[in-house]
Amino acid sequence: MKETILLTKHMRENPEDSHLIESYEKSNGYTTAKKTLLGSSPEKVLEEIKASNIRGRGGAGFPTGVKWGFLAENEERYLVINADESEPGTFKDRILLERDPHQLIEGIIITCFAANIKNAFIYIRGEYAKPARRVQSAVEQAYQNGYLGKNIFGSEMDLDLVVHLGAGAYICGEETALLNSLEGRRGEPRLKPPYFPAVKGLYMKPTLVNNVETISSVPWIIENTGEEYNKLGVEGSTGTRIFSLSGHVNVPGNYEIEMGSTFGDFVETLGGGIRNNKKVKAYIPGGASAPWFRGDQLNIKMTIDDVANNNSMLGSGAVVMMDQDTNLVNAAKSIVSFFAHESCGQCTPCREGTTWLEMILDRVASGRGRTSDLELLLDICDNISPGLSWPPKMTTICPLGPSAVSPITSLMKDFREEVESMIPTKVLL
Amino acid sequence: MSDNVKINVNGLQIESEPNKLLIEACEDSGIHIPRFCWHKRLDPVGMCRMCLVEVETPRGKMLVPSCTTEVSDEMVVDTESEIVKKAQEGVLEFLLINHPLDCPICDKAGECPLQDQTMAYGPGESRFVEEKRHFEKPIPISEIILLDRERCILCARCTRFSDEISGDPLIEFIQRGNKTEVNTFPNEPFKSYFSGNTVQICPVGALTSTSYRFKARPWDLKSTRSTCNGCSMGCSIELNSSQNKMLRILGVDNEHTNQGWLCDRGRYNFEYLNSDQRIKAPLKKTEGNREETTLQDVYSDLSKIIEDRSNKITFLLGSNLTNEEFTSFNEFSNKLGNNDNSIYLNEDILFKGFFDENIENAKIEDLNKSDAIIIWAEDLKETLPVLYLRVRQAVKNGVKLVVFGHTNSTLADISDVYFGGETVSNNFEIVKDISKLKEIKEHIKDKNVTAILGKASPNQSDQSLEKLFSYLKDNSNLKLLNAFNGGNSFGAFQTLGSVKGNREFSSEISKETTDLLFVVGADPVGKSIFSSNIKNIIDEIPTVVALDLFIHETSELADYIVPTSSTLGEKEGTFTNIEFRTSRIDKLIPSPGQALSDWEFISGLSNFCKFEGMSESLKDLNNKSFDSFALDTKPTFDNLDKPRNLDGIINTSVPNINTTDESIEFSDSFYVGKKLYGDKVTERHSKSISLLGSSQFIEGSESTFEKYKLNSGKCILVQENIEITVSYKINPSLPDSLIFFPKNRRNMNKLDFSKNIQILPSHSMEVLNVN
Amino acid sequence: MSWDDKLIKQAKKIVKIYPQKRSALGPLLHLAQSKDGYISDDSVSVISELVGITEVQVKSVSTFYSMYKQEPTGKYLLSVCKSISCEINNSNSIIDVVKDFTGLSNNETDEEGLFTFEAVECIGACGGAPAIQVNYETVEGLSTENTLNLCEWLKNETPDLVVADELQNKFGGTKSFDWAISDNSGTTGSVPGFQTLNTTKDKK
Ligand SMILES: Cc1cc2nc3c(=O)[nH]c(=O)nc-3n(C[C@H](O)[C@H](O)[C@H](O)COP(=O)(O)O)c2cc1C
Ligand code: SF4
Ligand code: FES
Repeated sequence: MKETILLTKHMRENPEDSHLIESYEKSNGYTTAKKTLLGSSPEKVLEEIKASNIRGRGGAGFPTGVKWGFLAENEERYLVINADESEPGTFKDRILLERDPHQLIEGIIITCFAANIKNAFIYIRGEYAKPARRVQSAVEQAYQNGYLGKNIFGSEMDLDLVVHLGAGAYICGEETALLNSLEGRRGEPRLKPPYFPAVKGLYMKPTLVNNVETISSVPWIIENTGEEYNKLGVEGSTGTRIFSLSGHVNVPGNYEIEMGSTFGDFVETLGGGIRNNKKVKAYIPGGASAPWFRGDQLNIKMTIDDVANNNSMLGSGAVVMMDQDTNLVNAAKSIVSFFAHESCGQCTPCREGTTWLEMILDRVASGRGRTSDLELLLDICDNISPGLSWPPKMTTICPLGPSAVSPITSLMKDFREEVESMIPTKVLL
Repeated sequence: MSDNVKINVNGLQIESEPNKLLIEACEDSGIHIPRFCWHKRLDPVGMCRMCLVEVETPRGKMLVPSCTTEVSDEMVVDTESEIVKKAQEGVLEFLLINHPLDCPICDKAGECPLQDQTMAYGPGESRFVEEKRHFEKPIPISEIILLDRERCILCARCTRFSDEISGDPLIEFIQRGNKTEVNTFPNEPFKSYFSGNTVQICPVGALTSTSYRFKARPWDLKSTRSTCNGCSMGCSIELNSSQNKMLRILGVDNEHTNQGWLCDRGRYNFEYLNSDQRIKAPLKKTEGNREETTLQDVYSDLSKIIEDRSNKITFLLGSNLTNEEFTSFNEFSNKLGNNDNSIYLNEDILFKGFFDENIENAKIEDLNKSDAIIIWAEDLKETLPVLYLRVRQAVKNGVKLVVFGHTNSTLADISDVYFGGETVSNNFEIVKDISKLKEIKEHIKDKNVTAILGKASPNQSDQSLEKLFSYLKDNSNLKLLNAFNGGNSFGAFQTLGSVKGNREFSSEISKETTDLLFVVGADPVGKSIFSSNIKNIIDEIPTVVALDLFIHETSELADYIVPTSSTLGEKEGTFTNIEFRTSRIDKLIPSPGQALSDWEFISGLSNFCKFEGMSESLKDLNNKSFDSFALDTKPTFDNLDKPRNLDGIINTSVPNINTTDESIEFSDSFYVGKKLYGDKVTERHSKSISLLGSSQFIEGSESTFEKYKLNSGKCILVQENIEITVSYKINPSLPDSLIFFPKNRRNMNKLDFSKNIQILPSHSMEVLNVN
Repeated sequence: MSWDDKLIKQAKKIVKIYPQKRSALGPLLHLAQSKDGYISDDSVSVISELVGITEVQVKSVSTFYSMYKQEPTGKYLLSVCKSISCEINNSNSIIDVVKDFTGLSNNETDEEGLFTFEAVECIGACGGAPAIQVNYETVEGLSTENTLNLCEWLKNETPDLVVADELQNKFGGTKSFDWAISDNSGTTGSVPGFQTLNTTKDKK
């Protein structure tokens, strides 16, 4: 298989200076935005986005055009770019921020034009210091060139863009937690209902929250039409997506591909296969929240729907390969302990449950497990996500708690023997 | 109601108002859904997840928190399914894994939802073999509140209360996830006038009060419902006692008044009841010595004086009497031929008020229903604290707030319009043409307005308030609350033929007019700004009788002291609040020694004097108090005890407040007012309150104090041979040169505000204190 | 207030960027940390006044986020990733090297105030696992040997400015993706280097 290069085109062709405005403009950057602002209409832009059938790249895969259409009427509306990328395994937004920030800014300008928004924010996780610097410089350049601020490109449109730095909290990737964080509060997810961002978002005003990759795709769609975009990939998963490949592969990295080929093909060709010619024991198809697939399931297609039909999710597009020698209990423990650490602490089942799961896994991993722990683990999971079905039912406000359940159910369903083998046999006294 | 929605819960059809939360709609129909974080008076947060229920949706049955889900027509709900039960058991188990097993020593045991629900829904045995989360055992977070973080289940009730309701967010979640704890900022105690409410609504024993700690078990408690008489708000309370000792006061959720909340003074100012300083037997002064005597002896002495009198018999009554007692004094005074003219209420700053058939008396709940609220009165936060909460609530719901000058600085912070020094002079006169104030006009013109008007300070003239009143009356659809704040003052207005205050008392009464003076539950010598005048009068009058709980600066001057019962739990009666809502005062504990109710004393004395036609029983007095009201709305005991009247009955009447508007001339730069915690004798004998009200201070703006060259945080107030050291607090909302004196703090009454008071820097004396 | 005028001026400028004051809370906490290496109670008081909320509200927010340190940090904050991609690429051995070298356990700072060590969750360097951040400047593709070299170099050179590209060239290996043009701007302390905060500089 080969990559299809849309979003990463400019950065690949200009490895020396793709992040600078001069370079971006040389590749016809900002011309789409200019044309749009001076000659198109918000309705037209929205139509193109709808026609493209692009679905959000932040994890939930919600159709972007539909989301924009939900935005409630109001004097004040906001756009917030979700650049909090913290899902273990994911580093695709990082490359877009670091290497092509102007593409994102152009996407923001067009989006704000379409949605009649005058204030936008990019919320970047605090640990992304270098990407944040690049974006901040790009924003300053864009202001200098009159692409942000008052009367952009000489049009009627005004737009202010603020780069806001997070401070170490995965949960702020959840859109309502992000809004709380941006308001200077604890990054706790809000209740939905009633706080749907499109109606009551930032400062309780209608707000669009979109992922970096989603908005970075906007200039291409508008330039080349939604119809063209819709031709790429497969139905339900149109366009290209940047997948972050990591784990025990020979060539890890970000790959921009059309959705539709198999994970096996992806790993073998672009990923260069598994290191030392080992076999895949298990792999994560869409970030740490996603249930795992076994090594014999590499023929599943990389589309949102195919993965969902196999009881997992394409999520943030992070593929993590674990070879035959991986200690899966340790792997699961790492993921559960991530969610325990990142739980905001509002919901009892998430706050207490994830930590309890972590403690038990820690015991099992260090050879102090009990036979009863296996059922206990599953029952605790069941109390966080009743029925242990997919998509998960929740006893919680947001999906973080149930995410911690994924690795354990995966482990118990497909690798139970491996767990059992770590429980010491009882010594009779 | 026709636009109600119908929902199906567990197969039963129930009706509910639209937009109600599911948990509440179910509750109203008798279906209880367990919960920890949800509280009717707080915004829902849906955090504990205990209230999950199953609701049918187009995507199948979903688990949703009933505390954040609004009912909708034809909703189908299951609160008892297997999945729901499993989820609830799960939540309970999660809450318990880190909860200490210290129920045997926990104040909350016996009335703890966590304990109850563990019995009802909980797992039998713990599957948690790891170590529990540990925190330092209870830490004091204020002088009266302790926090035990191990017991906390993170329901956010205390934090929400402090942020949403009382507006002093001093307690918050710290850390996140499994490390989350609730706490205050180091060195910044939980200093809130309303902190006790958090103890009451904490669903476990994480927040406890020093006052009640380890005192009793709920199953030993006797309790009754009564009305707080700490101010004229009339908050509904529950009194708790054990072994004839009052141990605790809880707020009762009365929709019309306090909605469950209390201020800390109302909650903790009962500890004096158990004080061993209470007077237990009648005392008589003979040649300067006080000796115990009998009630009969007192009656006999007094009856002779009454018979032989050549002048009037005068009464100075405290505001803490019941309606029935006011009626009893009124009756007695009439019997003496006094023609209503010899009863004074122990209130310094009575003004005439705005009572008249043409002006509608507001209900407290009108605050929430109006377009705008206008306030010009003494600081509500200090004098009518729960009314202050209701104003805050209204503002939160979008009602506009307009605040006039100097006194209500905390409300000014959340007001839409504030008229400070440019509009209101340091003497509390409006210096501008009100009709030209655009800012107020837009909020009131032809709108529904509720005004809260009262004297901001004794030196404010009645006319300045009248100006505002008539403007409001002419330009809006006005309802009004007259901001008298002293205890049962509205009861006095309603039952006494005519009312005057300390100002009139100190100018009208002398030994020339009065042979015998009754001072009842009042300490004007200790507390009034006319203190020195009143002391002279009392010294002169031939015979003075004090009816009181304690010996204090006034009662100690009396020739006879008769011990009386407290209105808090020691007697029955009724109380009338600021909106003329009359509710029940109930008795729970016996009075100490020979203490008796004031009406019993008057009744005994009348009998001794062989007066005829006097009310014989409390019930008679109760009936007589409300003579003029229609039968079905008469707040008689019988009526009030009907379940539908537990929250009280409103009956407005037009009182006869017979005061003069001779303005009191203060030195231009002073004003005086009450602080919530003062130095009343009951407060001094309630440990929790005395701790809170011990500091002495004055307030002014930074620039004002700069003029006095103060810099050490302390200063000395000097007047003739009086010297008082106090601290000075910066209150940025005060205009230049205006200094506030809290008149109910210790020693402040020694100062005469009509004369000059010098304010001098205090030089640190510690250095000299080598020893 | 015990922030100097310059800092207060900078803080006020940040407050102005936002439609509502409170939104500046996050950046101001970063600023406080750049001043002291942690969020001191004193800074909490200053910030509470600047954004108009109570001190405990500031504290509540600051303790929610793991990058706001509640205790003084060293000159170099060493954050080794332990999340899944790093975990299965032996991040444990990297953690051991750092612990051994510094003598620190998780979230500790040495007495000289040189190093603070922490094992952290995913830093978005999964393709270059195992990875570390030094004052939020990322180094990818670590070996145990290079980790040790990195620590020693920091200790011996004590650079004032930490630059990701420089560290990566000296001590890194496989990267998550091609970083392209090398960059010489870096971080001046244990806060992320960011223009708005004045915590980034160019290396000469
Ligand atoms: C726990 C959690 C973490 C999330 N983290 C991220 C994230 O880091 N970046 C992101 O873009 N979306 C994240 N999301 C998804 C967002 O809530 C939201 O769906 C997304 O930003 C919408 O943008 P899109 O429609 O462009 O995908 C997260 C969701 C959850 C529940
Ligand atoms: S599920 Fe976890 S992270 Fe999400 S809101 Fe609840 S406690 Fe917070
Ligand atoms: S009562 Fe509903 S979640 Fe706590």
